[in-house]
Amino acid sequence: MDHDSLLQALRKAVQELMPQVDGVIALRRVGQGVAAHLYQAGDDLSDLTLEPSFPLPTSVRLIQARYPDKTFGVVVRGCDERQLIELAKRRQINLDRLRLIGVACSAQDAEFCQCDLPFPQQLSIGEQVEGVPQDFLDEFLAKPRQERLEFWKHAFSKCLKCYGCRNICPECFCKECVLEESLWVKSGTVPPPFPMFHLIRAMHTVGKCISCGECERTCPADIPLTVLYKLLRRDVERTFGYHAGANPDEAPLMDSTIFLADMDLLRPS
Amino acid sequence: MSSPEPTERPVYQPKIIGFLCNWCSYAGADLAGTSRIQYSPNIRVVRVRCSGRVSIELVLKTFHEGADGILVLGCHIGDCHYIDGNHRTSKRIPMLRQLLDYAGIEPERLRLEWVSAAEGDRFARIVNEFTEEIRRLGPIKQVMVT
Repeated sequence: MDHDSLLQALRKAVQELMPQVDGVIALRRVGQGVAAHLYQAGDDLSDLTLEPSFPLPTSVRLIQARYPDKTFGVVVRGCDERQLIELAKRRQINLDRLRLIGVACSAQDAEFCQCDLPFPQQLSIGEQVEGVPQDFLDEFLAKPRQERLEFWKHAFSKCLKCYGCRNICPECFCKECVLEESLWVKSGTVPPPFPMFHLIRAMHTVGKCISCGECERTCPADIPLTVLYKLLRRDVERTFGYHAGANPDEAPLMDSTIFLADMDLLRPS
Repeated sequence: MSSPEPTERPVYQPKIIGFLCNWCSYAGADLAGTSRIQYSPNIRVVRVRCSGRVSIELVLKTFHEGADGILVLGCHIGDCHYIDGNHRTSKRIPMLRQLLDYAGIEPERLRLEWVSAAEGDRFARIVNEFTEEIRRLGPIKQVMVT
């Protein structure tokens, strides 16, 4: 399915869903970019778009907080859907009051995002394509440890402490953030001291990160954050069998009663 | 008076911070003490209410401030005073070890063990083994200074 017919099908699906809901949250073309928009019955859908991609869950969370009794439709890619599920587990959104319109990403989209799961569970529009193999993770791990350290020291030395990675992250919803507390991250210095800022943030993605890659695309210093986060996500999947964003009925990883009997969780062969 | 004998190069004494849970491991350390079991004096013990209290921020900050090794000791699974505090520890600390490895820091510098109030000898053995391991790895300064 080419991009235009995909958009046609999407607009038609939004139109059909509209009578059953109080509005549909989707991306709207604004100049060269996009913005989250709440489409309501009777609105012109010709500026509804999918690209450039942008995560909608934060907008969904804020709109739902303002209108808890309304039901909304949401246009979701695979990553949006998984993010919404993780947010629902943490009581940040109410999935019962959402109607998802799942859109599959194209092979080019998947390649651009280096995405391993470029489709939602509830697929309504588009054709499912294969995920991109994550070989670069093992390539990274093949480097000797000292080289990895130098790699990250160099990468993190470019950090401007703009908080872009945290601000764009749909899973970062805390009102108070440890990254802003001078007890943990010394204030008044750029770059933030290694390893405090970045490793704290990396650990806070454990069990939540679904690898949308927005943090890395936002980063003005091009720090390859997703390498770290994807490695951790892979460990969580292999070790605890916990797939972030897969099952809304599951407890969040850290709150679950899963425990590790074998203390030497080490790299699976 | 003859000049003093040339002294041997002093043995490197690593700084080790131990976070011990109040209910089991601290009592285990206490037992090691009252039983007069000898163990390495390199460990500085910090008593926490639960091993689940040891946040990743706390561990990273402790490394950042110059600890060469960190030992987190808690109750055995099933014995937690707060029922499932150590379940969280059992996920958090191994994941942090993985992250340290990915970031290029030796994961061996962080170790999690369960020590009950009756395991004074086990406490002493773990502290001694860990001290030797850190002595082998050397100071963390080489890693942390940017």
